[in-house]
Amino acid sequence: MMKFNHKTFFIALISLLLSGNLVYGLDLSSIEFPALNKIELPNIKKIQLDNGMRIYLLEDKTLPLIEASARIHGGSYLEPADKVGLGDLMGDLMRDGGTQKWAPDELDEMLEGLGASLNSYADVISSGVNLMMLSTKKELSVELLAEVMRRPRYDEARFEQAMIAYKSGISRRNDNDASIAGREFGKMIYGSESPYARHAEYKTLGAISRNDLIDFHKKICRPDHVQLAVWGDFDTAEMLAIIKKYFGDWKKGTEKIPDFPKVDYKFDQRVGFVERADSKQSNVYLGHIGGNTLDPENSHRIVMNNILGVGFGSRLFNEVRSKHGLCYSVYGVYTSNISYPGKFFCYVGTKGESTIKAINLIKSEIERMKTEEATEKELKSAKDRYLNSFVFNFESKGQIIQRMVYYDFFGLPKDFLNKQKEEVEGTTAADVKAAAQKYLKPEAMRVIVVGNPKSFDAPLETLNNGPITKIDVTIPQ
Amino acid sequence: MNRALKGLFAVIIMIAACSLAYGSVFDFSRLQKSIVEKTLPNGLKIIVLPRHEVPVVSMVTWADVGGSDDPKGYTGMAHMFEHMAFKGTDEIGTTDPAKEVLLMAKEDAIFEQLRLERLKGDKGDKRKLERLEKDFEKAIADAYALIVPNAFSNKLENEGAEGLNAFTSKDQTAYMVSLPSNKFELWMALESERFLRPRLREMYREREVVAEERRMTVENRPMSRLLEEFLSTAFKAHPYGIPLIGHSSDIQNYSRSAAKDFFDKYYGPNNLTLAIVGDVKPEKVFELAEKYWARIPSKYKPERVATVEPTQICERTVIMPDKAQPIILMGWHIPDETHKDMPALSALSSILGSGRTSRLYRRMVRDDKAAVSVSAFSGWPGSKYPCLSVVFCYPAQGKSASECDKIILEEIEKIKNASVTPEELERVKTGTMTGLIAGLKNNMGLAQNLAQYNQIWGDWRALFGELDRINAVTCDDIQRVAKKYFVKTGRTLAVLETAQESEK
Repeated sequence: MMKFNHKTFFIALISLLLSGNLVYGLDLSSIEFPALNKIELPNIKKIQLDNGMRIYLLEDKTLPLIEASARIHGGSYLEPADKVGLGDLMGDLMRDGGTQKWAPDELDEMLEGLGASLNSYADVISSGVNLMMLSTKKELSVELLAEVMRRPRYDEARFEQAMIAYKSGISRRNDNDASIAGREFGKMIYGSESPYARHAEYKTLGAISRNDLIDFHKKICRPDHVQLAVWGDFDTAEMLAIIKKYFGDWKKGTEKIPDFPKVDYKFDQRVGFVERADSKQSNVYLGHIGGNTLDPENSHRIVMNNILGVGFGSRLFNEVRSKHGLCYSVYGVYTSNISYPGKFFCYVGTKGESTIKAINLIKSEIERMKTEEATEKELKSAKDRYLNSFVFNFESKGQIIQRMVYYDFFGLPKDFLNKQKEEVEGTTAADVKAAAQKYLKPEAMRVIVVGNPKSFDAPLETLNNGPITKIDVTIPQ
Repeated sequence: MNRALKGLFAVIIMIAACSLAYGSVFDFSRLQKSIVEKTLPNGLKIIVLPRHEVPVVSMVTWADVGGSDDPKGYTGMAHMFEHMAFKGTDEIGTTDPAKEVLLMAKEDAIFEQLRLERLKGDKGDKRKLERLEKDFEKAIADAYALIVPNAFSNKLENEGAEGLNAFTSKDQTAYMVSLPSNKFELWMALESERFLRPRLREMYREREVVAEERRMTVENRPMSRLLEEFLSTAFKAHPYGIPLIGHSSDIQNYSRSAAKDFFDKYYGPNNLTLAIVGDVKPEKVFELAEKYWARIPSKYKPERVATVEPTQICERTVIMPDKAQPIILMGWHIPDETHKDMPALSALSSILGSGRTSRLYRRMVRDDKAAVSVSAFSGWPGSKYPCLSVVFCYPAQGKSASECDKIILEEIEKIKNASVTPEELERVKTGTMTGLIAGLKNNMGLAQNLAQYNQIWGDWRALFGELDRINAVTCDDIQRVAKKYFVKTGRTLAVLETAQESEK
């Protein structure tokens, strides 16, 4: 029987009653939302040079800045399997390694002297260069881009320095449980050899030479692979003339680079487990392969994500965090790409003692997406969150122009986003349930748990989620 | 003071220094003139910067309370309250406001008994504890049955909120959100309501969430563990030394009444500032402020922390053995943000350890290959009170923390002996100037800067007034502050030393 101290109850009650002064009621329903000012879509000028390079220009004179981003088709998916890390190194050193005109130190000094930022990178499917500087140096900004993309020096000393950083990175990669979980989960989904999940080892780095970087750069960085977007304080005609001056004579490439590799995926159940004796919290991912942005149900999946696991109002947040207090971070999302399949994944970080409980709660929420239709309120909320925040897709010029570059690369229609919005508007609870039934497979999930098994609330076997494999994350020397 | 703010300083310096070059490009005085403020009779200050390019608006509610104000025995309470501020109001977040009060009182009453019994430690009555814990779980479940989870956040997110979030630091607590500008009034209504009549529902479950946050952000991260050790060593007296998220035992001891007391003391309108940047008309903002925020009665302005960190009289060192790879960090005591030496200290930190041309990067990463990353910063972990100038370093593979330590000290000695070059000082100023201009792109960043300046300096205009102060920094100043503050006896050093399992 419940027994409690009447005095403390009384005090607590009084203080709560005093805190609620009901004289001032808040009437939210009386608040009117005026029509939102129409968003004027900026006029982006698109030009293709004879060498195939695509240029996107957008004037914006609000601030004395020039910004640019070059998207280069081709990334680490093209590196040989025995030289994993080549793509990243090539990407970093494109700018860090200096250019023919400017040695790395000169480049650093010049850029910092101007308060400018310039960086390069390589991703899995693409590479790129980003720049921001004051618009007082219009020509220099283009020359910098041209030097970095066309004439990188790949300075020997900087290469050596980067190699030390990369090797140190490997030595530190097990210092954080959360990153172990993310890394190993990716390999469980795409395969440990897959370009979409693999990572460098000492051995693969050791096989990479400076010449490899130069060759890899040559292979991908060529005008017919480049989409250059420039926006900010300039006149379009003047900017175009400068761009032509620095990029017009760039020779087109001829060799066709391989397409994005397919992912061979078979749905099954697996549990991967990384033992961490010192762990204070279990890091868990669970899910399976995801989809393609062009799938007909993509918009239904956006609504599905909002209901299941994206945002404060989602079921996973309500259930696992708010109701049960099992975590600080929990989410679940079905992701899609155009190039290669996305992932469906849920994450939770929870104390060892609630590891199994949290996983089971998440699994049952995924299951529920397939068996129960969302309530009218849930559906409305999930759609409203997307539709009412739609305006933020147009908050900055950089966002708008970079989206156009992406759409253009994959050949999406200009109005793709608006179409998607219309589809979200029309999505019904039945659509969401159908999408969940088609795309979510709680019966065929792959789970990774990184934590201390001695603290778990039940053995991993009780998950009944297929074979359990202990993953050895010892770093191969 | 945060980095963005630092950037702002330097930018403004340069704007004066380079008025010929940049004055015609961007007119900061016009921006400044377009900012308006108003203080309600209850003390609430509202700062508005109208910008109509895109129909969106960013808002921040800035509370002059942070981890330094945590009550004794309740470390982390400022942060805990930040979580509780999302639990709704008397009417938002429940299906039955009146009954909820009773159920919450029951939770509180049982928890108070449980808490007192737990405090007895081994002498506690085990059976009583068991029974209370069971009752407590039931009371929590009963109260939860009336809850509409995350109702407050949903009201904003359903209307298109972006970046709905909050943060707590040593000096302040900030609540942020951006909305389509036609929803502005909704925010004024909801935000005022949560600071007028917050209902601290789900208090006891939320402690578990915070405990998980502690596990995730501190206990499971070697760098964070080292930082806690570092700060508690550098600060013996001042609350900058206590962990922002709280000690585990304190988190377990939080009661609803302790959170309520904290709210009552620190969340009066005269301790809050609203900064609003975006597509709004100031007159409309002030009209709505009268309607919604004027409802909140004024409170005592809470006093500042009285404790002053005593002068450190000997070097302090912490060695933390861990499985992770080495990390080294060190700090020296420096004054608070408004002190006249701060601009020079800030420039000194940048020249030492910010960017690829900085002295430590060039020596340690580029030349000696002793480190993979090194950075320096002045004004940490807060800046409202005297704080630290710090250097963080990740040694390269196979290099030891002590090798890195030696080099860092050598480089600081060089500045003490020969100061820095004018080119280095110029570079710092220019770099931060573009940082400021670029910062203007972001409504939310700007709103936070205005609010933070207002808090630390008492007036957001100080942001623009920094010009003269910083413009006066010379190479000699940098040498002088290096000698004055970077003294051996004032240093705290923390090292993560990689240990094998058996050594721990």
